[in-house]
Amino acid sequence: MLNRVRSKERDVILDSITEGVFTVDSNWRITSFNRAAEEITGIPRAKVLGQKCSDILRADVCETECALRETMGTGKPIINKAVHIVDARGERHAIAISTAVLKDESGKVIGGVETFRDMSLVEELRKEIEGRWSCEDIISQNHRMQRLFSVLPNIAESDCTVLIESESGTGKELLARAIHNLSFRKDKPFVAVSCGALPDTLLESELFGYKAGAFTDAKKDKPGRFAIAEGGTIFLDEIGDVSAAVQVRLLRVLQERTYEPLGAVSSVNADVRVITATNKKLSDLVAQGIFREDLYYRINIMRLELPPLRERKEDIPLLVNNFISRFNRLRNKNISCVTDEVLATLLSYDYRGNVRELENIIEHCFVLCQGEIIEQKHLPASFQTTVDADYHDIKKAVTLEEMEKIFITNALKQNNGNRTGAAKQLGIHKSTLFRKLKSLNIEP
Amino acid sequence: MSKTTKIAIPEWQGRVSTVFDFASKLLLIEIDGQKEMSRTGNLLSDEPMAQRAARLKNLGANVLICGAISRPLAFMIRELGVEVLPYVSGCIDEVLNAYLAGQLTEQRFSMPGCWAGARKGFRGRHRGRGRCRRE
Repeated sequence: MLNRVRSKERDVILDSITEGVFTVDSNWRITSFNRAAEEITGIPRAKVLGQKCSDILRADVCETECALRETMGTGKPIINKAVHIVDARGERHAIAISTAVLKDESGKVIGGVETFRDMSLVEELRKEIEGRWSCEDIISQNHRMQRLFSVLPNIAESDCTVLIESESGTGKELLARAIHNLSFRKDKPFVAVSCGALPDTLLESELFGYKAGAFTDAKKDKPGRFAIAEGGTIFLDEIGDVSAAVQVRLLRVLQERTYEPLGAVSSVNADVRVITATNKKLSDLVAQGIFREDLYYRINIMRLELPPLRERKEDIPLLVNNFISRFNRLRNKNISCVTDEVLATLLSYDYRGNVRELENIIEHCFVLCQGEIIEQKHLPASFQTTVDADYHDIKKAVTLEEMEKIFITNALKQNNGNRTGAAKQLGIHKSTLFRKLKSLNIEP
Repeated sequence: MSKTTKIAIPEWQGRVSTVFDFASKLLLIEIDGQKEMSRTGNLLSDEPMAQRAARLKNLGANVLICGAISRPLAFMIRELGVEVLPYVSGCIDEVLNAYLAGQLTEQRFSMPGCWAGARKGFRGRHRGRGRCRRE
């Protein structure tokens, strides 16, 4: 009786802490699993008891460097080992684990205990600071985007010049960073230059650097961005905005892999991969005589295009959830979701600014939302007047087909892929759902 | 005419590796009808998921039978035309025979806790009859 009371007390204590805790027996079978462990792994306690711990924790070290195996073998605890797991939601997390042995009264090892905490916030902040984004960080289930991701390793490996032609806010720099981080240059610098933000006179010195005395204020040598990017990648955004003079110099870098800093008497070799981007159609600028044709063919070796957000609206719910998770971590809030009304509003919007605009909208909501759910009133003012004016017209701006596709996809997701459950939730017959899955080309 | 299929299974100590994202060894088993024609082991390096997906495609795999897998990696592999049958656990040969016999959905081969849509490849499929015969 006393043991039962103590056991219950222990469970209450373990369930109240934010660190995941589980114990295993000498056969690596899980014997206890606290609430935080359920949350971090995404697997309910009822499904894990008796299972092998590696089948539940799913960490990168489970097979090769299991911390529990080491601790149970040596008797020495391991403290704060950083590992990665894949949780039941299919997301990778960084966690920090600590292990200790469990012994019986005679001192015999009978099992082990492992504690772990979610390090996602630290990882997120590290990525923000270091810019170590990869295509895993570009959120999309759109077929065009997935096809793009599948060829990225080959593009990265090839070291060829890449041109990304997409609207503003679609993630051009993120894609460029992903290519850099997939390439053999990943340990060298990634240097981004916004060519449209600088006047021509400054752009030239910024890109190529200058020697002391090259002009009045040049008191000492200054390396340009190409020098800083040596061995790595230079990302030239808004390439369509550069002047004819800079175009000539860029052409020389691409053709001969050399350049001269301003005021220099000799050339410098450039071992730099060039990735360019523009929100304009460069071929049109070439036809108009604004952009050099020879430079266009030099940078257009591999042309990539990111679809605008309005052409991949099925990604909006995913992106919204991702932004909510990200801002929760960065701002230490606990917002869980948006209302259906907000989602409908977001789905009907046009997004001239694409993903960046959606991110700004969610960030705006975060400032105003003091509760756990983002409501219509938290949206920016421009959404309020349009909604007040004619809510039904806003809904009509999205085609019926798009709305059906999104709601069916969400219903399937909420029902773990079960079509009967999804049909019930949507209030339609199962056969109707099957027909719609086929006609809308939705993969359940 | 029998169709050759290349089945990729990440392997650790004779069993399906727990997480495909982190697996270090991949078995590639070529099947012709119900007959195993060849079985090769390939080492996988610690690489970004896009590269892992591309490697799988370049090895010629038609089907991936694996343990847990992250959602983005599964999407990438499916987009490359490789069928993904995840959240499978068990001994390699038992899993292979179960796949060929259309029995891979049995509880004894399932890992608990997977994301929505992960196991869509398992629905309504027959995987052939009988047991795999090795050459």
